[in-house]
Amino acid sequence: MDNSKTLNLNVRKDFPILSKKILEKKDLIYFDTAASAQKPNTVINETNDFYKNHYSNVSRGVHTLSVESTFRYENARKKVQKFLNARSENEIIFTKSATEGINLVAQTFYEKFMQKGDEVILSLIEHHSNLIPWFFLRDKYGVVLKFANIQPSGEIDIDHFNSLFTNKTKIVSLTHLSNVFGTELNENAISICKDKNVPILLDGCQSAAHLKIDVQKLGCDFFVFSGHKTYGPAGIGVLYGTENLLSEMPPYQGGGGMIGDVSLEGASYAELPAKYEAGTPPLVEAHGLGVAIDYMNKIGLDNIIEHENEITKYAFNKLNKIDFIEIHGGDNKRNSIISFNIKNVHSHEVSSFLDVEGIAIRAGHHCCQPLMKHLGVNSTARLSFGVYNSLEEVDKFVIALHKCKEFFNK
Amino acid sequence: MNDLINDLYQEIILDHGREPRNFGECDPHNKSADGHNPLCGDNLKLTFFLNDQNIIEDIKFTGEGCAISLASASLMTEKLKGKKIEVAEEIFNDFTNLVSGADEDLKVLNEEDSLYALKGVGGFPMRVKCATMAWHAFNQALKD
Ligand SMILES: Cc1ncc(COP(=O)(O)O)c(C=O)c1O
Repeated sequence: MDNSKTLNLNVRKDFPILSKKILEKKDLIYFDTAASAQKPNTVINETNDFYKNHYSNVSRGVHTLSVESTFRYENARKKVQKFLNARSENEIIFTKSATEGINLVAQTFYEKFMQKGDEVILSLIEHHSNLIPWFFLRDKYGVVLKFANIQPSGEIDIDHFNSLFTNKTKIVSLTHLSNVFGTELNENAISICKDKNVPILLDGCQSAAHLKIDVQKLGCDFFVFSGHKTYGPAGIGVLYGTENLLSEMPPYQGGGGMIGDVSLEGASYAELPAKYEAGTPPLVEAHGLGVAIDYMNKIGLDNIIEHENEITKYAFNKLNKIDFIEIHGGDNKRNSIISFNIKNVHSHEVSSFLDVEGIAIRAGHHCCQPLMKHLGVNSTARLSFGVYNSLEEVDKFVIALHKCKEFFNK
Repeated sequence: MNDLINDLYQEIILDHGREPRNFGECDPHNKSADGHNPLCGDNLKLTFFLNDQNIIEDIKFTGEGCAISLASASLMTEKLKGKKIEVAEEIFNDFTNLVSGADEDLKVLNEEDSLYALKGVGGFPMRVKCATMAWHAFNQALKD
């Protein structure tokens, strides 16, 4: 390593996959945490233990295993509530993913509060998950979608955003942390929504494990994230919503668990949060997410954030000095994500080249095609960091980048 | 350098990736199709002229993509130009087999063919779609 600095945090040993050799000889350098995070031993062992020793359906039977399963499922909800600092467990709905959370809000919020011609404000940097559910409303019901511009820095253009509001604006949905730029949403966007009394959903997919989240302080009305990006299992996601809104909106799907009373003539619905959790939920995955939250708390979110900031800054400064590298998103502070291109080399080539060096990065449009169009590129390479990465890995990565550039420009 | 990378990026691939042949639009053309890789956003437009003897008289493409997808499209146009449609279909079948690792009983392609250079894609399963994008567009155009 070409500097004498090492970081305080070394949790590599907690993640068994990091001892895997790529192509039988290369140490794995995992720089794709933004796509999905690796899992610590505790999550792997605890989900195993659930199946081995406690598994049954939840909230159904009265036998011992049902009690043990239900306890774990509901305990996970408590952990998520604390993690987000929600007022009550009733505000925590388990979904299968952030994507499902956004679809749930789009559909049920529309049903209760909107009609043809009403408007939704989004932005150009949204993930397809925060676009398509709203496209559905436009296509099916004639809802009008407006998109806030972004500045070269990757931040939302707040003045333009502000100018999009009309008396028909019913809801705003924005990414809290861009999965392409790693830039955090300007807090003013939320206060503008507050001032205008328009509910705002934050897509917290990228922020949940990389920023400290306090939904009350943030002042958002909805917040979604996915368990798999926060060191937990795939198949579990979280929708936070204020009790007010969640109480007023109708259920999303129908099925077991979400009803009060059913006769052939109709049904009454369960109280929150069960109202939005039709069918057998991903209970083991929910428990796994709870364990992942415990894991992050044990290390300390502040320590994790500091660690990732150090690495991100270090990588940014290194990349910024290389003349054949173009970094996207200006000089803004980045949180664990950097998007770049090697001039004249397609990101696919970069990714395949690095792969055989044992380095996993993402190449492509990152599910943000409108943003790619805006940037005038058809794909970028993306580095993203997690609690397990190190400065040495960044050094190895930079050496590999030089080799890559040499190979393709020979 | 790693063998896998050298197999994937043979000189001819890098060359065609940098300077694709038959780049443009056929004028006139009577067949066309768009190719698209939804995973990465790469895309191309293929046009060709099929004459009354069912021979591909001219074939060209435009688009943007990685070296693999551009080289594959470029080599494809070189290979298919002047071919009868039945032969072109056999080449299509052989090529898709070749890049997915099922290259034991190819009917018309052999190791002498420049297309054989794309065999290395088999070592990178996630890149097979890059190599086949132009070919699927060709197949689509025949069906339309
Ligand atoms: C900003 C953002 N929003 C939404 C998603 C969708 O997450 P999931 O596929 O887990 O629902 C992602 C993940 O790729 C993301 O980065």
